[in-house]
Amino acid sequence: MRTAQNVIVENDDATAILLRRVPTRGEVMAEIVTQLATFRTDDRHVIRGETVIAKDLAIDSLAVMDMVMELEDRFDVSIPMNVVAEIQTVDELANTILKLAARR
Amino acid sequence: MDPLPTRHSLALRRAAFGSVPEMLDYAAQGQTGVSFHSARGERLSALPWKEVRERAHVMARKLIGAGFARGDRLLITADTWPGFFDAFFGAQYAGLLPVPVSIPVGIGGKEAYLDQLRRQFAASGAVAAVGLDELAGFLAEAAEEFPALRLHGGMDVLESLPEKPVDLRPLGPADTCYIQFSSGSTRHPHGVQITQAALMANLEGITGPGGLDVVEGDRAASWLPLYHDMGLIGFLFSPLAAQLSIDYITPRDFARRPMQWLNLISKYRGTIAYSPSFGYDLAVRRGASQVPADLDLSSWRHAGIGGDMVRADVLDRFAATFEPRGFNRSAFIPSYGMAEVCLAITFSPGGTGVHTDTVDRTALAEQQRAVPAANPDDAHSARRFVVCGKVLPRHQLEVRDEQGHVLGDRAVGRIFVRGPSIMPGYFQEPEASREVLSPDGWLDTGDLGYLLNGEIVVTGRAKDLIIVNGRNVWPQDIEWAIEAQKVVKSGDSAAFSVDTGEGERVVVAVLARVSGDEAKTELARDVAGAVREAIAVDCDVVLVPPTMGLPHTSSGKLSRSRTKANYLAGHYAAKPAAA
Repeated sequence: MRTAQNVIVENDDATAILLRRVPTRGEVMAEIVTQLATFRTDDRHVIRGETVIAKDLAIDSLAVMDMVMELEDRFDVSIPMNVVAEIQTVDELANTILKLAARR
Repeated sequence: MDPLPTRHSLALRRAAFGSVPEMLDYAAQGQTGVSFHSARGERLSALPWKEVRERAHVMARKLIGAGFARGDRLLITADTWPGFFDAFFGAQYAGLLPVPVSIPVGIGGKEAYLDQLRRQFAASGAVAAVGLDELAGFLAEAAEEFPALRLHGGMDVLESLPEKPVDLRPLGPADTCYIQFSSGSTRHPHGVQITQAALMANLEGITGPGGLDVVEGDRAASWLPLYHDMGLIGFLFSPLAAQLSIDYITPRDFARRPMQWLNLISKYRGTIAYSPSFGYDLAVRRGASQVPADLDLSSWRHAGIGGDMVRADVLDRFAATFEPRGFNRSAFIPSYGMAEVCLAITFSPGGTGVHTDTVDRTALAEQQRAVPAANPDDAHSARRFVVCGKVLPRHQLEVRDEQGHVLGDRAVGRIFVRGPSIMPGYFQEPEASREVLSPDGWLDTGDLGYLLNGEIVVTGRAKDLIIVNGRNVWPQDIEWAIEAQKVVKSGDSAAFSVDTGEGERVVVAVLARVSGDEAKTELARDVAGAVREAIAVDCDVVLVPPTMGLPHTSSGKLSRSRTKANYLAGHYAAKPAAA
């Protein structure tokens, strides 16, 4: 019986774990927080659901693009650019990924 | 699906056309064309020039049939996708003027993008706006206040128009070609009026012996955005003007996987590709770990650099990284230009690589003279600049002092250019046009530099423009963003950039009308947050005591250059750690 749900796939960047099942909210949040951790403006600053990405973190437009694409790879989703432009907070980003992953 | 060929059956004709439709008519008789590639290197679609032209004819009959008048403006979101080609060239054959505009940048960018669209609608007087399907909603929202916009949405709104049996009415040699937004602040955007004649003159320079000297067997590869002059003219019209094939990836895919740009060159044997310095830097920093075993860059004969200050250190690193993969450092072509001259003003001579001039920093700053440095290896006293080549044939370039006197070699002044590539002016902005264009046809580039044996060395900008990752950012926009968030009041902030050696870093000096360390830290954080939110740029904030004030010019205007000089001289306190 096949129990492993995570499949390791080689891509042209690195070894990425593509979640074949719909990820949990916790997994998505953990990944976003990891991605954003380097952009905190203060080490004591905790990244929360309500953190406004473009405002509360020291992240420029190139790094934002990079992060979104990294998340898209990780969770095998594609976030349309109009949807990206409407996202403000970490919560909204997580919800978008979860919604798209569920539709996959 | 075979790749589109590099060679074709036509006689190579470098420019010498009267208009964009004439160029496409000729190239369409051959077998070359454009190919779109994905971030993973797969070819998504290919359009031979013949098909580009056929599709454009269909689109033109739809546009004319729908009642659009000659000279009407059609705004197009210029992502790198076939729809852009349909809309742009369709407009050319229908006598409409395309207005290519950018696509939104990143998270939380919606409001800033809508604001930009509204200003572009107003400045261009567009009667229709089309774009990627996913941007149809934004176009609709921005269009609400513009009743003159008869039609907007994804490409389907054009495709669903009936094709009527009408005569084409292609734009001709005496007409305008399109409107280029790339200069001026986002608050007051100026659209450069690109005429067919100026474009043809610039293409002749770019493809000819004073430029890239295009030959049979050349092939272009590009990631550059088509809403910038370097992407649109450099990597759509220039290859088209010489019947070349082009391989594209989108700017987004390049940012994520810069190695795909080099892969395109390697796989399809590209010979001409350009980037601002930051793209070469990205390819080294992000790409070095992903170099495929079979990468072969030996076909690349013109590796152009333009669009930002050309950085010798970055190019040295790029060459060192990719020489083992066949890259030839003599392929580098530093060049200089701007949208007001269509695209190009100077090119370094082909096949000679990067030449630098190392000058004394003190003489440069205090006497505006570029004196060869006594100790070129000492970065504190010496500054290395890249020599950017000679002005195109049929054009003139002068460096002048503040009184307008023409300067000789090694004297730093404002760069002025004249010739057939110069714009007639900003679209419907006579006043702004008069500020940069003299009655006898000289354009004030707003850049500073000096001449060296007939070649130009660009040292900086007379204007306060900031360039971050190839993107133009006006300091006024940064200051307005801070005021708009009510963080500080008008006149209490000054934005400028400092050269970090690796790129430009934005610094905002703010009058600190608060007391206590906590309040100051909070102020700095709010300023940085407001800038990030509105402009998507990360900045350093430096707090200036209100008693000291910000420097002003004799006419009472905020002096960003003196603010910067004070900052560099250490007159302001160090930036708070949390900023």
